[in-house]
Amino acid sequence: MELQPMYVQILALVLFAIGLTVAIARRNLFFVLMGVELALNAVNLSFVGFAKTLPAEASVVGQIVPLFSIAVAAAEACVGFAMVIMIFRNKESVDADSYSDMKG
Amino acid sequence: MTNLPLWFIPLFPLIGTLLLGTVSVISSGSKKGASEGIVGGLAVLFPALSFATVAILALTMPEAGIRETLCNWIDIPLFRADIGFLFDGLSRIMLLFVTGIGTLITLYSIGYMHGDRGFARFFTYINLFLFSMIVLVLADSLLLTFLGWEGVGLCSYLLIGFWNADIKNCKAANKAFIVNRVGDIGFLLGMLCLVTIGGSNLLNYDSLAAFVNMLMGTDTIKEVILPLSFAGILFFIGCTGKSAQIPLLTWLPDAMAGPTPVSALIHAATMVTSGVYLLARMGLMFSLLPEVQIVIAFVGMFTALWAAITGLFQNDIKKVLAYSTISQLGYMFMAAGVCAFDASIFHVFTHAFFKAALFLGAGAVIHALAGEQDMRRMGGMINKTPVTACVMIFAFLAIVGFPGFAGFWSKDLILERLFASGPILGPIFYVVGLGTAVITAVYMGRLMVMTFFGKYRGDKETESHIHEAPFTMLFPMVVLAFGSIFSGYLWADSIGITFFRDSLALVEGQAQAIYAVANPAIHVNPVIFAALGAAAALVGMFIAWKVFTRARIIGVKGASTVPEGSAASWTFLWDYIHSAFINMTWIAAWFCEVVVENVLQALQWVIASVVDILGEGASALQVRKVRLQLAISIAGVAILVLLVLKMGGLF
Repeated sequence: MELQPMYVQILALVLFAIGLTVAIARRNLFFVLMGVELALNAVNLSFVGFAKTLPAEASVVGQIVPLFSIAVAAAEACVGFAMVIMIFRNKESVDADSYSDMKG
Repeated sequence: MTNLPLWFIPLFPLIGTLLLGTVSVISSGSKKGASEGIVGGLAVLFPALSFATVAILALTMPEAGIRETLCNWIDIPLFRADIGFLFDGLSRIMLLFVTGIGTLITLYSIGYMHGDRGFARFFTYINLFLFSMIVLVLADSLLLTFLGWEGVGLCSYLLIGFWNADIKNCKAANKAFIVNRVGDIGFLLGMLCLVTIGGSNLLNYDSLAAFVNMLMGTDTIKEVILPLSFAGILFFIGCTGKSAQIPLLTWLPDAMAGPTPVSALIHAATMVTSGVYLLARMGLMFSLLPEVQIVIAFVGMFTALWAAITGLFQNDIKKVLAYSTISQLGYMFMAAGVCAFDASIFHVFTHAFFKAALFLGAGAVIHALAGEQDMRRMGGMINKTPVTACVMIFAFLAIVGFPGFAGFWSKDLILERLFASGPILGPIFYVVGLGTAVITAVYMGRLMVMTFFGKYRGDKETESHIHEAPFTMLFPMVVLAFGSIFSGYLWADSIGITFFRDSLALVEGQAQAIYAVANPAIHVNPVIFAALGAAAALVGMFIAWKVFTRARIIGVKGASTVPEGSAASWTFLWDYIHSAFINMTWIAAWFCEVVVENVLQALQWVIASVVDILGEGASALQVRKVRLQLAISIAGVAILVLLVLKMGGLF
């Protein structure tokens, strides 16, 4: 059985949903970042899946954009972790809910 | 052609104002006040110099007039106004009698105001008045005329309330000022209308005339005629305020609270005629607006008739004269309403002489009787003040239109023009005008009989002090009496003298020619008019003599001489109508204060509370819940995306 494009999209949707849920539901900052990465990669997968439906010449574009976003995501992960470390040094905690300084 | 610049004319009274103002301020601390001789001399000198300048310019003026732009006044994008003067046939005549009679009345005031603590202040105001009046008449644009217009209004206010120790005088001054302000709004809006029609250069009289000339014979006139009529009506409202016509006539009778020379100068001879002057100045524009002209003529007609009837019932000598002024102004407006601007200005001219003489005579009588103004306590004055009586009699004959006197020529001319103005309206105007002439003779006859004939009805104490006025008062009166006899001979149509008309022909000729084409004149032998006018005067005088020499006049204690404020019932009930108007604004004010403000406050409170509650709720979401905020923002984005999808794209 050939791989249907729809299955790829469903997988991407499931991965995206998991990533989002993790990013929102977990309190640990590392899990939040992981969730964000997962959601990002789900979108990349979706791109590739759609690119597959196109004829060969046009589908190249759909395969290049995920490559870009993988590179950008690597940089983003670096910055993100650096920030998390800085915040951790200040707050002595990786709990996202304890970062609010707002009163009231 | 001399090299005298035009701005010399207003300059002299301005110097006088500043000088006398300084004197009166400096001397305000001392008990005695400044020397009356010096102050009086200065006060007369400057108007006299101004008069001399006008006289020289008048004699040497080229036919087309003198135009002079002094400097730029306002220069902003879309609006430009210069301070410029225009000296032509019309302003020449106005200026001659404004400065001439102004000088005479200033001279008279020296005697009249003798011993008054505000001597220097009085003459400061008089000079300021003359300055403003000269600016009004000499200006070459409506804007500068408006400056003078406001200036004379201010001086009128200051001088009506001159004896400001009495609250009633102050109230009369306020009334005059406020009623005039209503008219001034008309003037301002009229100017605005003109600027809207054709830009700021339409405010210049010459440009306005050129504009009207350009309009004639083209199709654009149909589009412009409506806004132009609107402007005409608005200017006419301005004129009704200044010239005390219906519906804004109520202030003039109360304006008699001022010193008598002021009544003579401002409220009879000069300022109140500025409305007529403005109509004549814009005559060419009005000649295009027949509907507005009819309104003007009817307003003039009703004012003339009603003020004359009202004059019959007054007991204050000055109020009789005030109503007679309103009535005569009504004649002038009627004439302006049928485009007989030259006749109108001619009546302004003769009226200035005989009305000033009447007022000065009345002032001399009041002076002799130590301030008594009630005619019921006068009588028999002819034996005690013969010169005053003679002056008054000459002026009386002039105002009733006795053949040969000034008023005869001018009033006769107006009536003739009224009759000739049209087949239907003309005779109506004529009959009402003639009837008014009869009534004029009756009430003026009543005034003369009650004041100068019969027996003296006042108390013995005052009688022993009755004296003829001093020379400074008598001299101007005698000059004006001569004026009331002879000024009519400048344009005596019946004996073929048309000097006055010719001198105005260049200014008013075109407007009247346009009107004459639209309304072909009906030719009737002028001798019939002269005979009828003379008959009207004689009949009125006869009635007055028969009725009022026999009538028993009861000397009442309660004086009717104080300003009546809003209770003056004899101004066509307009005082009551004004009161009703004012009450309506009070109600509107109450409505605004109570209802609108409360509703607005409630609305404000509701909105504020809603925002407050929403804010409280929103702030609960923002505190300490980073992940919740993230979830909400993602949900928001999701909703937006869904919406865009459902709507089928972004646009």
